[in-house]
Amino acid sequence: MKKIIIDPVTRIEGHAKITIDIDADNRVSDAKIHVTQFRGFEKFCEGQIYSQMPALTARTCGICPVSHAISSIKACDTLLGVTPPQAGINLRKIINLAQILQSHTLSFYHLSSPDFIYGFDAKKEERNIFKMMQTHPQMAKDGIMLRAFGQKIIQTLAGKRIHPDGLVPGGVEKNLDEATRDTLLAEIPNAIRISQESLAFFKTNLTKFQKEIDSFGVFPSLFMALVDEHDNLEHYDGKLKIIDSEGNVLQEHISPEEYKEFIGEAVEEESYLKSPYYKPMGYPQGMYRVGPLARLNVAKACGTARADNELLAFKALNAGKPVLNSFYYHYARLIEMLYAIEKIEALLKDEATLGEALHRTSKILKTRAVGCSEAPRGTLFHDYEVDKNGIIQKVNLIIATGNNNLAMNAGVKQVAQTFVNAEDVTEGALNRVEALIRCFDPCLSCSTHALGIVSSNIELRDHNKNIIQIFKRN
Amino acid sequence: MRVIIGYGNKLRGEDGFGIDVIEALQKQELPNTKLLSTMQLTPEIVLELLEATHIVFVDAAFSQTDHYALACSREIQKDATLSHHIAPQTILMFLSTLYEKEPTYEIFSMLSANFDTIEDKRSYQRSLNAVVAYLSILKS
Repeated sequence: MKKIIIDPVTRIEGHAKITIDIDADNRVSDAKIHVTQFRGFEKFCEGQIYSQMPALTARTCGICPVSHAISSIKACDTLLGVTPPQAGINLRKIINLAQILQSHTLSFYHLSSPDFIYGFDAKKEERNIFKMMQTHPQMAKDGIMLRAFGQKIIQTLAGKRIHPDGLVPGGVEKNLDEATRDTLLAEIPNAIRISQESLAFFKTNLTKFQKEIDSFGVFPSLFMALVDEHDNLEHYDGKLKIIDSEGNVLQEHISPEEYKEFIGEAVEEESYLKSPYYKPMGYPQGMYRVGPLARLNVAKACGTARADNELLAFKALNAGKPVLNSFYYHYARLIEMLYAIEKIEALLKDEATLGEALHRTSKILKTRAVGCSEAPRGTLFHDYEVDKNGIIQKVNLIIATGNNNLAMNAGVKQVAQTFVNAEDVTEGALNRVEALIRCFDPCLSCSTHALGIVSSNIELRDHNKNIIQIFKRN
Repeated sequence: MRVIIGYGNKLRGEDGFGIDVIEALQKQELPNTKLLSTMQLTPEIVLELLEATHIVFVDAAFSQTDHYALACSREIQKDATLSHHIAPQTILMFLSTLYEKEPTYEIFSMLSANFDTIEDKRSYQRSLNAVVAYLSILKS
């Protein structure tokens, strides 16, 4: 009985290690991802004034600060009893979608595409972004261009690319003028071209990865996401909907304020990452998935023409039932990128977007509020309690990556059992274990509210949890 | 065109050195010079460098000794992943490989181990003044 440890795990956002337990028959008995960082945002936010929360919580992460700012300002809106003007809502939606676009682009082009181009068994030195620049320069350029477009929108509308300060309770700080709007609209056709070519590339190459498709986190689970009033894809507003692996609706029309009735948060000894679960089914049976795969499984349609076309093909993968293969997170992510660009275009063309974008107010009307939005990696909750002066008394954050913790662990175990041979641990097998995690595109900085370091290790352990071998991953 | 990129985080004490240098340079009217200020070097920044014939990177670099000394930290990216931050050398590789651009470059790294506060404000300012003077006099 021995144990394999992958530490650090590479090409993810944050620090983690993976342990693989080997039994006496040299078979994988268990595998787990351990998130080894801690920062304690929920605690040190206590005592701060509510208006600091968007800026403070955005510092949780350098990749998705916008998502935290969006959930935070929505919670602050509720504390103040303010409804942003339509322009403010539209601009927030555009900024949120730009964040999803730039984050998904990073995940696909910079972190995962080397696996799709060179295969999971390619040598490490030939399976990276630098090799990709040499062999697929246009694709590398497209990745840069698309991410830059998302960043430009955030910078233009919210002030800065990273940790923007234009997202505030009551709306956004700056109105959008026609000239700026037209500048952004001019870049839409190229962004759509890139997005469609990326989808075509991915779909064309799918046949090469049938074994990974069939073994990367394929299991029944629940799926949770926000949807709009027509059950369509929604990233900014809407109600929570939870379905099972057959597509049966377990909960719908849930207001995010009620999340505690349905979501429990378990803590495991070996990880700083919390394990949320669907309360009515208990822990750990109430495992659910969030993020692009869950959103496309839960939504009936995207609501934009090109993305809806792609969604039809996506839903056909499992004859209209929820797609259970975690490998298809990548596929869903690419469809969401296309959707985000189309939706940004529609929102920019909406004349209401050019109106006054901010209602200013500062009187606390409520002492508890929940802000919820769909971040790139899934549903994000900011739950604040304040006193009558707006001083934060209590904070609870449920982060997208945390929602997926149970599913990531189940997936790691499945991949390890499929590919890891304890007598001959290959680079390809270890890369696949990591690649399963990359399907979920976890942001460990966010989920543990921890410092962002991109690295992880894999540990091989015996049945007594003694380390037999450690595989350093960078 | 010369492009000067200052990068760092002003909320992290002396890590904000590059940003402070750019803020000081913005008060001068440097000819044929573009000033960029960013928290981290990220791949998409190459799109702002396509017209550059000369690039100056200004940053703080971790060191246990010689605090506030100016050095040239040619940080080598150890892994082949791109995420929060990439090294100047990687930016130059992007420019060369993808866009056939080969600008000359300089790197100014102020050595520091203080990423909570600016510990010695006088020494910090002295380093800042030295870089600003060099970039505004010698290269303008």
